[in-house]
Parts: sequence; structure tokens; C-alpha cells
Amino acid sequence: MTRWTLGAWLGGLAATATTLGTPPARAQAARDPSAAVIATGAEASVPVPTLMEGALASTANTDVADQLFLHLAELGPTLMTSGDRAFEPALARSWTRRDSVTLVFDLDPRATWHDGAPVTANDVVFTFRRARDPAVSTRLAGVLRHIVSVTAEGERRVVFRFAYPYAEQLYDAVFHVAPIPEHLLGRLPPAALATSAYAQAPIGSGPYRWVRRLPGEYVELAANEKFFLGAPAIKRVFFRLATDAGARFNMVLSGEANLMDNVPPPRDNLDRVAAVPTLRVVAVPSPILGYLLFNQRDPRDTSRPHPILGDQDVRRAIGLALDRRVMVRATFGTSASVPYGPTSPLLWIGHRTPPPARANVAEARRLLAARGWADRDGDGILDRNGQPLALTIMLPNTSGSRAQLALQAQEQLRQAGIHIELERLDFSVYTERRGRGSFDIDFAATSQDPSPTGLSQGWSCRGGTNFARYCDPAVDSLLEIAGRTTSHAAETWQAVLARIESDYPAVFVYALNYLTIVDRRFANVRIRPESLWLGLREWTVSSGARLRPAGY
Amino acid sequence: MRRWLAGRMLQAAVTLAIALVLLFLLVHILPGDPLAREGERALTPEQIEDLRRRYGLDRPLPSQLAAFLGGLGHGDLGTSIEYGRPVTALLLERLPATLLLGGAALLLNFTVGLWLGVRQAVRKDSREDRWLTTLSLTGYATPSFWLGLVLAGFVGVRWRLLPAAGMHDPLGAGDFLASSGDVLRHLILPAVTLSVVSIAGTMRYQRSAMIEVLRLPYIVTARAKGIPEHRVVWRHAWRNALFPVLTLFGLWLPILVSGSVFVEAVFAWPGLGSLAIAAVNNRDYPVLMGTSVVVALAVVLGTLASDVAYAVLDPRVRRS
Repeated sequence: MTRWTLGAWLGGLAATATTLGTPPARAQAARDPSAAVIATGAEASVPVPTLMEGALASTANTDVADQLFLHLAELGPTLMTSGDRAFEPALARSWTRRDSVTLVFDLDPRATWHDGAPVTANDVVFTFRRARDPAVSTRLAGVLRHIVSVTAEGERRVVFRFAYPYAEQLYDAVFHVAPIPEHLLGRLPPAALATSAYAQAPIGSGPYRWVRRLPGEYVELAANEKFFLGAPAIKRVFFRLATDAGARFNMVLSGEANLMDNVPPPRDNLDRVAAVPTLRVVAVPSPILGYLLFNQRDPRDTSRPHPILGDQDVRRAIGLALDRRVMVRATFGTSASVPYGPTSPLLWIGHRTPPPARANVAEARRLLAARGWADRDGDGILDRNGQPLALTIMLPNTSGSRAQLALQAQEQLRQAGIHIELERLDFSVYTERRGRGSFDIDFAATSQDPSPTGLSQGWSCRGGTNFARYCDPAVDSLLEIAGRTTSHAAETWQAVLARIESDYPAVFVYALNYLTIVDRRFANVRIRPESLWLGLREWTVSSGARLRPAGY
Repeated sequence: MRRWLAGRMLQAAVTLAIALVLLFLLVHILPGDPLAREGERALTPEQIEDLRRRYGLDRPLPSQLAAFLGGLGHGDLGTSIEYGRPVTALLLERLPATLLLGGAALLLNFTVGLWLGVRQAVRKDSREDRWLTTLSLTGYATPSFWLGLVLAGFVGVRWRLLPAAGMHDPLGAGDFLASSGDVLRHLILPAVTLSVVSIAGTMRYQRSAMIEVLRLPYIVTARAKGIPEHRVVWRHAWRNALFPVLTLFGLWLPILVSGSVFVEAVFAWPGLGSLAIAAVNNRDYPVLMGTSVVVALAVVLGTLASDVAYAVLDPRVRRS
């Protein structure tokens, strides 16, 4: 007969688990207090600036590349992309303007690659030759299309020539791509770079150097002790992968990671962070903008205007019927606001805009009545010529916050006599339907670049991502002027926003701030909205802070 | 036996081929576009077309299928759209973690499950048997993803007894022994989560089979001859009660690669499951097909292994 009782077996198992689960005191002391472990949702597969194309132009790749590769200059605290003065020196110690289409950069002579070779003007020329070649970098070549030539003058001087005078020449030259080393890649055919050994262990010029990548787990970087702008105080950085937001959050709460980009919904999770004494939340402007986009064309026949939303007064009525402040507060608390026009908190042109219009249901009803919409059959839904005022809001099933907001919009619009059906779609189906223009109202969310010129993609007649086929020649004209103007840029851009606001091609619902989770032992924390962990090199480790326990 | 084995293997190969063609067609019929993205990665229609050409997605479906099958013959599953790297390399990187998790879950399943099943049968109708029956039914009814969330939340986050996520502690020591202990600590929660349902199933099967065998006359004879009880149970009865459980082994084998998809996501386990979920969400066709190939292979091999084991152990199956 079996001689061990069940209780003894279970007791033994529990003891083993407890022994394995309790880290020895030695291991706790050995844990590195100067290491930062960032919980991230996607894996950096190819963090090389000229390779980040299409799906590879991901936040995961950008976050790692920004530690490995230094840009010529970086955006300043104002995030102003217009003009030459709001930027901070990085790989280039200074820049001057020869004329309205020529910018000259002088590289910092102290800058070196991680292998010790100096960073030269030829590296910059080489990088832009690759980046501007549509066969190599389709997306980059598109955004750099206004750069006519990049040439070297000696070892440390680079000259950029542009096709015409415009406000964001410096931004174009420094923001989109960081230099890569010619001495290592010059002989490698462009097509071979993605699968080369270099792509798997990149050598850059940034504050951190590549150590290793454990597939599916983490990327490890180490401080570049010879970094010419000063060796970082945080000596090791890990980008630790958990695709599920809940798993990422668990990592931070349990001490297995100490930085995370955003507190995931629901809002109660903020209380869970507050309950951990070693963590704090830092609000950071995000590039995220959420809006209800009105299709201007009939989804069944795009040659015709939309039978309901083609009418500007109906669009305005929908906007006025929605109390966006209530919706945003109920969903995001104080971490989001109602934007004026298509402006996320990242976009500098939105900083001094007027407040967006408040809800006015009576005015909404008046506008609809004036256009012939009335509740003739007494069912609570307005109708005209026997057709009810019924619309569908399409949204992806990956977004919990948009689902919550859509439910509120549905209820608020019902009270104004507008019937709304919600259609939650698989993300890929959603993007496909969006691309085809097969929707009434799209509850879209976009992640904006710091530059307002990106607005032309979504809001100009021929914009590449203008899925609603919105077309106002006045907006196009204003966008054109704003993109070129080198003086009074803010006023010109605000004229663009005012025009879009008054035309109601969309109702701009929320502009989000990230609620970043940061371990309290990090001091001098500056989180950069354009790339959250870019400023890590300036952070310090507070010697007085209590080190958190090992975690498990 | 050889002829039988050859026939069975041929059948398995044909099944695999049909499964792969069907999977390829289903994956490509799914609505959604791997290149149309939202937000920061939104591309212009021209850029999308360019990428479509680059990944061969502009070609007719039969041509894409032929390229896939041709590549498969050479072990080339194409290049991931999301990762920009060869799919074969990605799968090989992730497979060991999945095999480790699946293997640990199977091991737990067939050691704990069989042992508890035998205990129940031997102590049939006792209080322990009733408790274990209740426990096994509860385990059987527990969804893995829910159990995973509960274990991660309490054991990992609240009590901090075991790691809540990942496979290695990035700040852990590097020597082999410490590293193995580290992996083991990370393995416990996902392996327990994954095995609870299967242990419950195995217990029920083993209990029923063992009760049947313990009633047979040769067991009565063995006891009458004075053979010690533990020898009667484990040497004489258990061996013959293993046959029904072998079928289960064949069914559970695909867990090695497919059953852990949600558990891997909950515990951030760096295996094929998390890769497959991302591939489904992003419609990364090459990775989706790559993981499908591995799963289909596991299902076919699991069934084949089960049949072969039956044939080896039972001459009647071989002869028939």
C-alpha cells in the first residue's frame, strides 16, 4: 500500500515551492539598484533607424533605437517643430543657416561609435543616402522628400539642402532618422542589412550600447561609459516584453519591472499603483487623439455624398449633442482632456487654442429640425422622408476605453433622437473597413507625430489617410500656407484648426496623457513625450531611496 | 508491423498536407490587411502597395500557396511582416520555451494525475476519494486563463511567492545552477495553470480504468497469494490500467505547442503562443502559417505516437 499520505505529499510540494519561491538574501543584495527594467508590449526586433519601415516602425523598435543611436539634434521642452531655435544639440553641437534652403551642421568632435570609431560627416551622408532611397526605405524616403541633398564638408561638417523654404527643415533633418555607421555598413548591400549580424546587435553612437536580446523576453543595454555627453547613471536598461497589458502591470506591481509606459484600464488600477509605496505615477502628454470621424461619402457608393453625414448641420448637431467633458471624465478621469481640433497633447499647435464647444442639446435639436429631421412616428428617433436618423459607429475590439466612450455617445445621442448602432470589429477587419471607407462613423484613435504637417495626411483632400474623404479646399490652402510659413507659424496653424473645428468633419473626443509608472528610486526623471524613455540618460538613481525588495 | 507503421505514417503525412493547405486558405481568407495600420504607422496607399509587392502579397493566392509549400520543403517559411526576420528563426527561438512549458505541464499531468487517479481507485468511496473527485471536477471546470490571472494576481503580485511573469529574471545571477533555479521558479505558475485541467481529466480516466482492473480475477489471485498490496497495485493492476490513458497522452501532446497560447500571454512566457497571438492580431501571415505548421505537426505526431504506443503494447492492435 502507498505509504505516503496525501497530506504529506501536498506538504512536501508546498515546501518545495516555498523554497524555490524565496530568493536567498544574497540574491536580493546582488540585484542591481542602478538598473532600469521597462515593461514593454512589443519586442524590438530590428532597432536600426533606416530599417524601421512599415510594421517595423513600431514604438518597440524606436524605444531601443533611441538609446542606441543619437540624433543630430533633439526636440526641446516646448516640442516646437517649427523654426531652428527650439531644438537641443545632440550629435551636432551646433547648426547655422547659409540661406533659406541650406542648413549646416557641425558634429561634436567628441562623438564616437560604440566600437570607438569617430562619428563623421560621411556617416550622416551615408545614412541619408539610404534613408532617401525609396527602394530601401519607402516611408522615410516619403517624409524626407523635401531634402534635395546631404553632403559632407570635411570630417565634421554636413550640409543639407532643401527643395524650398519651409518652417520644419531642421525638424526634417534631425527627427526622422539618426545616423548609422558607414564604416560598418558601407559595404553591406542595403537589402542585406535587415538579416545581417549588425541588425541583431547594432552598434550606435547613443548613451547605451547593445548587450543581448533574449527572444521573446528582453533586450538588454548597458551604459556607454565613454558617451561624450556624460556616462548615464543608470548602468543597465532592460526592455522586458509582456504582450498582455495585465501581465506588464503585474510585472511592475510585483517588482519584476520598475517602469511602464501607461497604467492600463480600468481606472481602479491607479489605486493599485498608489498602494505600492515604491512606485509613483508621472503624467506625460501623449500623441494619442481619439475622435468620431464622419464619413463624407456614402459607404455603399462612394461617388455620392453620405445621405446623412454629408450635411454639415447634422454633423454639427451630433457634435453639440455630445457632452465630451462628461464622457472623458467618466472614462479617463483627469488623465485626458477634450481637444480643440485634431490635436493631441504632443502637438505644440494645440497649446494655446480656445476651449472646444460645449454640449448644447437644444441647439442640436434645433439644427436637426431645421434640416427636416423630426420624430413623426413617436418612437423617440428622428426621421425624414420615412427614413430614421440611424447611424453606425465602428470601433476596434482592442480598445476598452473607446468601447466605454462609444456606449456613452450612443446614450447621449439617443436622447437627442439619433439612433446609434455600435459595431466592434476585430482590429484587422476594422483597419480594412476603414481603408475602404465602409463606415458611417469611425471611432478612430491616432498617434500623431510632433509635427503638425502630419495633419495634411488626414484632413487634406488628397491626404493618404483621409479615410472619410473629407475635402475642404480652404483647409488645404491653409495647410499649405502653414507648412511653408517661417513666421507666425502658431497663428497660421490655429487658423487650420479653427476651420476644421467649424466644419465638423469629426468630433474630437479625447486627447490622452500617459500615466507612466516610475520607481521612486529614480530621480531627475524627465519623460519625453515624443519618445518616453529618450531622457533616460539624464536620470539618476537616488542614493537615499529605499531599495525595493527583490520582488519574489 | 513495419507495413502497418509505413501505412500509418503515410496517412499522417497526407493528413498534414491537407491540413496545411486548408490552413493556408483559411488564414488568407480571413478579413484584414497585415499592412494597413492605424495611428503612427498609418501608411499611404502607395506605400502599402510597395510593401505588398515586397512581401509577395500582391500575387494570386495559388501562386502564394505554391511559394509557401515550396519554401516549406526547404525549411523556409518566409519573412515575418511584423519582425522583419525569417519565420523559421523566430520559431526556433521560441520553440524551446513552449516545449519546456508544455513538457512540464505534461509531466505534472501524467505524474500527479495518474498517481491521484490510482489513489482514488484504491480508496474508492472513501472520504479522500470523494474529496479528490470534487477537486478534480472543480479543476476540470476551471478555465485556464482565469486560473492564470488568479495565480499571477495572488501568488505573484500580492504574496510575491513566485514570479508573476517572464521566464528569466533579467537581474538574476548568470551561472547554470542559479539560472536553472530561476527558470524553474518562473515555470511553476504557468505549468500549474496549464496542467490543472488536464490533471483533472487524467485522474478521472485513471480512476475508472483502475477500478475496472482491480475487480479482475488475477488481482484477487495475486492478493490471495500474499503479494504486498503496493506491488499488486503498481505492478499488476496499474500496468493494465494504463491503456485508456495512452489515448489521452496522444490527445494532450499537442498541448506542447498549442494549448499554452492564453497561459503564455497571462504569464508573459516567451513561447510560440505569444508569438501566435501577435501574429493573429497583426495578420502576420508568414508567422501565422509558421505556428500553424508546428501545431498541425504536433497534432498529427501526437495521434501517430498514441497509435504506435497502442500497437507496441497490445499485440491485438498490431495484428488487426
